[in-house]
Amino acid sequence: MVFASITTVTLGGGYVIVPVMGHAIVKRGWMTEDHYYDTFAKAQAYPGPMALSTALLVSIELCGFRGAIAALAGVILPPFLVIVLVSKLLMTYGTLPAIQRFLNGAGAVVPGIVAAMVWKNTKRRAWNAQRIVELAILTALLILFPAASLPILLGGIVIMYLLEGVWKR
Amino acid sequence: METLSVAWTFFKIGIIAFGGGWSTVGIIKNAVVPLWIDEENFRSLIAIAQSTPGPIALNSATMIGWNHGGMLTAIVATLSVVAFPVLMIALTTLLASKVSINKTSINEALRTGSIAMMLMTLWVLRPTSMDPLLLLYAVATFAIGAFTKINTLWAILGAGAFNALLGPALRSIIGL
Repeated sequence: MVFASITTVTLGGGYVIVPVMGHAIVKRGWMTEDHYYDTFAKAQAYPGPMALSTALLVSIELCGFRGAIAALAGVILPPFLVIVLVSKLLMTYGTLPAIQRFLNGAGAVVPGIVAAMVWKNTKRRAWNAQRIVELAILTALLILFPAASLPILLGGIVIMYLLEGVWKR
Repeated sequence: METLSVAWTFFKIGIIAFGGGWSTVGIIKNAVVPLWIDEENFRSLIAIAQSTPGPIALNSATMIGWNHGGMLTAIVATLSVVAFPVLMIALTTLLASKVSINKTSINEALRTGSIAMMLMTLWVLRPTSMDPLLLLYAVATFAIGAFTKINTLWAILGAGAFNALLGPALRSIIGL
């Protein structure tokens, strides 16, 4: 059981981790799809990569703390090995002009991806005046005081959490 | 000790790394540029971290660690980034029914928070060079990411390959 959960989570080590992992878990009959996505919704309230918290919550429910350790290893190890390999290759070949151009081109798309993410999330969000003001203030603070992003975010989340409760429509 | 300061930096990143990878990138950038990596290399690092399997925060921790002290630092940095999330999950599992948080309120607060983090990420990673070809890649990627269902991974790899193979030829044709 524990070993099987390692392979599952390893399979899920990708860009579309959450649905892939869900598919693998449902296929093995460990959880129903609804229950998996409930767990995923819970995982979003935790800090850290969503794939990690989802994998941990699922495996704790399925096989307790031994499962959690297996899931942790399963989420961390494969990408770790790939990154170490890529970094090693870059150390050797990184100075080749073609590789340099590849990295330049790949790096140039990053603002485009972030802008697309902002676009999608903004469209999906249920906006109201309060949330727009919160967003504007929080963004401004984060940009103006980059060194203090940790306290700004933690404080901001607590305040927004309390305000959501106050202005319940 | 560099290993220790890498570890501490990524531990702190782990505390606020919610809302999916892209909201965390700005926080990571503020923490590591220009201390451990320069602006341009950071963009390439993010492109690599996004196009290899695994969460982006984890991958960038591994890479920064690897480039600043080798294997040991890479392991320490990777573990640091997951330390706090793992701790939180362990704690809430142990305390299960003793704490009650309003799930809707916390999720709404986190959603607003993560959009703010993404906007900040967009601000700190705004294109720095006015190179038209590089700007074109960014604009095309935005269009693909915002209006199609194509995985932006293909935009990363596509722009990289295109720039490596055809970049110089295209530049000489349009006279850049």
